[in-house]
Amino acid sequence: MASSSDASASHGSTPESSESGSATEGPDRRGRVRLRRAAVMAVPATAIAAGLMILTAQGALGVQFAISGMPFTVTATELNGTGFEQFGNLDNMAEDSPNAGDTGGQVLVVTSAIKNATLTKLCQSVDLGGTNLLITAGSGADKVQATNLTTDSTELSGDAAFDNIEIGNDASTLSKAGVQGNKGVFSQQADTVHIANLRQTNYATTAAVFKLPGLKLRFSDQGC
Amino acid sequence: MTSSRNPRSEFRRWRAHRPFWGGLLLTLAGAEILLTEKASLKVVLHIGMQGLAGYLLPTLMVLCGLLILFNPAQRLFYSLVGILLSLGTWLTSNLGGFLVGLLLGAVGSCLAFGWLPDQEPRRRRLLRRRHA
Repeated sequence: MASSSDASASHGSTPESSESGSATEGPDRRGRVRLRRAAVMAVPATAIAAGLMILTAQGALGVQFAISGMPFTVTATELNGTGFEQFGNLDNMAEDSPNAGDTGGQVLVVTSAIKNATLTKLCQSVDLGGTNLLITAGSGADKVQATNLTTDSTELSGDAAFDNIEIGNDASTLSKAGVQGNKGVFSQQADTVHIANLRQTNYATTAAVFKLPGLKLRFSDQGC
Repeated sequence: MTSSRNPRSEFRRWRAHRPFWGGLLLTLAGAEILLTEKASLKVVLHIGMQGLAGYLLPTLMVLCGLLILFNPAQRLFYSLVGILLSLGTWLTSNLGGFLVGLLLGAVGSCLAFGWLPDQEPRRRRLLRRRHA
């Protein structure tokens, strides 16, 4: 079957009996994408993708972030959380990272961990050089919710209030948010945290589950 | 077969027998998503399975894309797994690598799914051949 590679040989559609990779096929009998076949998968996939995005924008689905390597800014008009820890840390970049500069690939950061956090008017921007990737959420009635929020920041500002704060613990003995630092490092922890006009420059890491009602993802000239 | 043995035409022939663009797009999509996240392993381990999934899904996407390229006989299974992983990265990995990786992966999986071996040449190519 189909052993002659002459173009004039067969014009009708041949059944797809010969498997790919068989060496007897002529060079011009190529495999090809059949549109209708691809649509069998593309249509439901598009529907599911749209559904995921709608559910995320309504805050019904949590989304996980683990961005890093580039510094990015997070702002919120209000943050309320339970289970708060903060300690110094040293972050290592990937070997030969282009972002390392003269730092030797290490950044001194403050790690903040919050077990459950609620944020109003969350805004997150990453500078991509010339343009900013801007994500906003939680500006409506529904707030942004995050669990196990861990951020490594180089800068943190805002008006803060804490309940039952313990300052000067060893970072390896922290218990309120389930994250521990290295032995012999200064740290503090509190039962609840309230920060107004929060602004963070997060350097290396954040990894958490986010619920983002009113999600908006866009490119913008200005960051947060 | 009288085809010349230069590497270019060899590559063209190799490409003709597998869903090349599908596999390539899926591989690139997984790589793009992996590039958007570099959370230090320590934090990932603290957060547990959910943190790990952020790396696991794009890694599996890369594997599926490579397997589509190098084992095209099983392309249906790989593309089905590939599309599920691509959609899953919306939840686990920075909104699917900020949408880019998710779109690339979905398109790649659909191309691999819709690909059939041993098709008639397109009419354009047929005509060109006849003129030659």
